[in-house]
Amino acid sequence: MSDREIQDSVIRALADAPYRASPEWRGLALADPARLERFARFLARHFYHERLVHFFKYSRALARVTGRRPEAVLHSAGFDALLSTAVLGSRATARAVAALAVNHVRPADGAQPIPYLNDLLEYEQAMMVVEAGPRVWRDAGKGEGGRGKGAPPELVEGTVLLDLAYDLPTVLPKLLQPWTEVPQAAPLRVKLLIARSPHGRVTVARADAAVASVVELADGRKTLPELAREAGLRSEDLDATLAGLADLGAVRFATGS
Amino acid sequence: MSDISVGAFYNPHLGAELARATGIDHLAMADPPASHDPHWPAIKQRYTLLLHDYLGQLSEPLDERSIARARSLAELYRTPWVAEHFQCLHTEDGRYNINYVFPPLYTEEFLRRFVTNAKALQARLDQPLVMENIPGFFDVKASQLSEPVWLRRFFETTGAGFLLDLPHVWLEAHYRAMQPAAWLAEFPLDRVVELHVAGVAEDDDLQGPWIAPAAPSDEMLDFMGLAVSRCPRAQAVTFDAFSPSLTPEVLLSSVERIRGAL
Repeated sequence: MSDREIQDSVIRALADAPYRASPEWRGLALADPARLERFARFLARHFYHERLVHFFKYSRALARVTGRRPEAVLHSAGFDALLSTAVLGSRATARAVAALAVNHVRPADGAQPIPYLNDLLEYEQAMMVVEAGPRVWRDAGKGEGGRGKGAPPELVEGTVLLDLAYDLPTVLPKLLQPWTEVPQAAPLRVKLLIARSPHGRVTVARADAAVASVVELADGRKTLPELAREAGLRSEDLDATLAGLADLGAVRFATGS
Repeated sequence: MSDISVGAFYNPHLGAELARATGIDHLAMADPPASHDPHWPAIKQRYTLLLHDYLGQLSEPLDERSIARARSLAELYRTPWVAEHFQCLHTEDGRYNINYVFPPLYTEEFLRRFVTNAKALQARLDQPLVMENIPGFFDVKASQLSEPVWLRRFFETTGAGFLLDLPHVWLEAHYRAMQPAAWLAEFPLDRVVELHVAGVAEDDDLQGPWIAPAAPSDEMLDFMGLAVSRCPRAQAVTFDAFSPSLTPEVLLSSVERIRGAL
């Protein structure tokens, strides 16, 4: 085992609670288990504090109306219960932590002082989950991300298409400005695509009908002509849509390998 | 009167206060300025800015994208030096990331890695590189050298400057049940270019003190005075607090107390 591999095992032990409990890790006897556990718990709270503050910043701005700050869940029994299974950066743990925040902010009695709150929480939760997952930290210089000529496009794992009942994009910036009356969102069906680049940059874009069709149909098996036919798009429109989606990190092109 | 530059971190939520503050010589930049930050033009015009962003972990070579970003930020800030950390916080395959400063193993292999990659970065920068020490909360049994010895060898081989984070040294001494001054004396203080000073706070998970965006205690300021007296090449002391929870009162009074203690 190289020193780099040992370092990786320590990093994994700090990030991955099931690994930390495994005989594989314990057998290495690299660190005092109690101290490592304390540090891992500290890291978990820090890791998800940063993400809740960032991704739930809009419902955080509404806390003076809802009375609920999303990051308060980090000191709840629910979060403590997650710690024994948490894997920092995984989609499963992101989903579980985001769900705690959503349940905390959403009124328990069904009273809804902010009509678009459910949409907002769904959006924030989706943002946090999409951001999760392994990422490319260093470019390998092998030209990854290139588009195979005519290769079947497939939706990148984790990409989300949201179907909302309120026009959230117009109200989000207003929530972060000073306000006295809660900014309102117009009732309007809006589809939003949330995708992440290989380097971890999360992007949100309004999705038109063409985007929505391609996102739903791109499975890595359908050829471009099949996709164009099923989506009802001309070839040049499909190319433009796919180029935009690839730039966002929403689709990639299957290589067959 | 000391001629050491005294500063703080640029906290964008305190932009208005920092734009009109007096008694601050420099600001360290942990993040690039937001495009909509109304105070950035005044901040940029007024202060010496120190690049202190996450550029990458030097256990691996920085890729071209990271180097280009470092160069671009250094040019934007007109920084006198570029800072990075002795850290290794994500696995080589990118699968696990703890998103928090974490030291490498202090081994010969990691020393070679950091030296090689720091030299490669130095060759691409127009400014000197300084490297900051990172505290360990627990020892990893695979380490072969003490942290101070490992750091000294790194600095001797690369010629890089040392960004000495004093709370990090203080915390390590605390968890080793050592006197902070005794632990400090083992570090290569002749290489120090900049010092970081801040407070510490109790953490429930760690069941002890840890890094916090808090005002330095009198004990920490005394420790800073001792450290500066032993760092003949020190040029700057920075109040190391970067957090949305930081208030202008804590930032401004901490800088004032640091200046008073020098």
